[in-house]
Amino acid sequence: MTRRLNTLALTGLSLVMGLALWEWAVRDISRVVFAPPSAVLVRLATDIASGVLPLALLGSLATLAAGFLLAVALAMPLGFLIGRNAKVAAMADPVLNAIYAVPPVAMVPFLIIWFGLFFEARVALVFLMSFFEILVTVAAGARNVDPTLLAVGRSFGAGRARLVTRVMLPASLPFVFAALRVGLVRGINAMITAELFLAAVNLGALMKHSAQRFDTAGLLAVIALLCLVGLAAQAGLKSLEARLLPWHVRR
Amino acid sequence: MSGRIKYNLLGIAVALTVWELVGRALGTDLFAPPSVVFPEYVALLWDGQMLRELATSLRQMIVGYGFACLIGIPVGAAMGRSRLWDALLHPWLSMFVVTSVASLVPLFILVFGTGFMFRAAIVFAASIWYVMLTVYHGARGVEPRFIDVGRSFGANRWQAFWEILLPALYPYVITAMRIGLVHAIRAMVVAEMFIIVGYGGLIYRSGLSLSTAPLLALLVTLMLIGVTANGLLREGARMIAPWYERRVASVSATQV
Repeated sequence: MTRRLNTLALTGLSLVMGLALWEWAVRDISRVVFAPPSAVLVRLATDIASGVLPLALLGSLATLAAGFLLAVALAMPLGFLIGRNAKVAAMADPVLNAIYAVPPVAMVPFLIIWFGLFFEARVALVFLMSFFEILVTVAAGARNVDPTLLAVGRSFGAGRARLVTRVMLPASLPFVFAALRVGLVRGINAMITAELFLAAVNLGALMKHSAQRFDTAGLLAVIALLCLVGLAAQAGLKSLEARLLPWHVRR
Repeated sequence: MSGRIKYNLLGIAVALTVWELVGRALGTDLFAPPSVVFPEYVALLWDGQMLRELATSLRQMIVGYGFACLIGIPVGAAMGRSRLWDALLHPWLSMFVVTSVASLVPLFILVFGTGFMFRAAIVFAASIWYVMLTVYHGARGVEPRFIDVGRSFGANRWQAFWEILLPALYPYVITAMRIGLVHAIRAMVVAEMFIIVGYGGLIYRSGLSLSTAPLLALLVTLMLIGVTANGLLREGARMIAPWYERRVASVSATQV
C-alpha cells in the first residue's frame, strides 16, 4: 500500500516537474513558436467552457465509433479463424505482413478516390488503421491458448462448440482486450489523421485554424485533449477487463 | 515446414488472384490489377525518380529513427529495472505513446519549419516511445538471478547495466527496433504527405493522377522495404538468441 502511494506521489511529482521544466524552458520563447503549459491549460479550459472543443470532439467521436465498431465486428471472427487454423494462418501470414508494412496514411489517396473527402472516407481510415491491429492481436491470442486447457475440456467430454465457447473464448479474452485497447488507440490516431488529411472538420479543423494563426497554445490544447481521450479510453477498457476477467491478473 | 511454405505461397497466389479479379472488375482508375501495376512498377524503377525520392526520405528517416533507438533503448532498460525511473518516466511514456503522429505535425511545422529537422523530429517523436516501451517490458522480465550473480562477482551497478542487463535484452532490443521501424516509416509518410515532399509527396501527387497504377506501385515499394527490414531484424534476433524466439513473439503481440 505504501509502495503504491509512493509510486503515485512520484507520478504526481514527475508530472509537476515536467510541466515546470516546460514552463521554464519556453519562458523566453515567443508563444508563436511554443506555448508554455500555463497558456495551454488556460486555453484548454476556456475552449472546453465555450463548448468549441466538446462539440468538435463529439463530431470526431462519431467517426471513431463507426469505424472502430466495424473493425471489431470483422476483425474478431477473422482473427479467431486465423489463430485457430494452421492452414489459414500459413496462407494469411505473408499477405497480412505485406499489408501491415504499408503505412495506412499512404492509403489516403485511395480513400479519396473511393469514398470522397467526408464522413465515409474518415470512417474508412479509422477502420483500416484499427482493423489490422485488432486482427493481428486476436490471432496471436487465439493461437496462444494453453493446449492443456483444451485437452482437459476434451477429456471431460466437451464437444467442439462447447470447447470454443467455454474454453477457447474465455482463455483468449485477455488478448481480445489487448486487441481492443490497441485498436482503439490506433482508431483515435486515425480519427485525427483523417480530419487533417481529408476535408478538415471537427478537431482537425480546429488544429488547422490554430496552425494558420501560429497559435501554438490552441494546437497544444487539441493535442492534450486527444491525449486525454486516448488515456481515458485505455483506462476504461482496463477497468472493464479487471471487472470482467478477475482471474487474469495483469502486473 | 515445407507444408507451411506451400500454404504461404498458396496464400500469396490467392491474394494476387483476388487483386487481379477485383482490379479488372473495378477498372484501372479505381483499383489497378497487378498485371497493370507490374509494368508501371518497372517503368517507375527505370525512370529513377521513385528511387531518388525514396533514398532522400529514408536518409532523413534514419536520423530520427537512429536517435530514437539510441535514447529509447537505454532509457527503456533503466525504466524496467529501477522503480524510481519507472515511476518518474512512465506517466510521460503512456501519454506520448497514445498521441497521434498526425496531430503533432502542424505543431512541429511551426517549431521546426518544413526542412530536414522537421522530418527527423517527427520520426523521432513517433518511434522512440514504442522502442522504450518494448525494451521496458523486456527488462522487467529479465531473470534477477543474472544480475545477482554479476553483483556477487563484484560488478558495480554500471557494469551490471551495460554488461549483464543489455546483453540479456538483445532480442527485445531487436524487437523494439522492429516495432520502432514500423512507426518510423509510418511517421515519415505522414510528415511527407502533409507537406507534399519526398516519397510521401510522391504518393500524394500520384493519387491525383487518373490511373491508380503508379500509386499502387509506390505502395508496393514501401511494402517491400517494410517486409525486408522486418525480415532482416527478425533473422538477426534469431541468430543472436534463438532460444528467445517464442517469448519475443509474445511480447510484440501484447504491445501497448
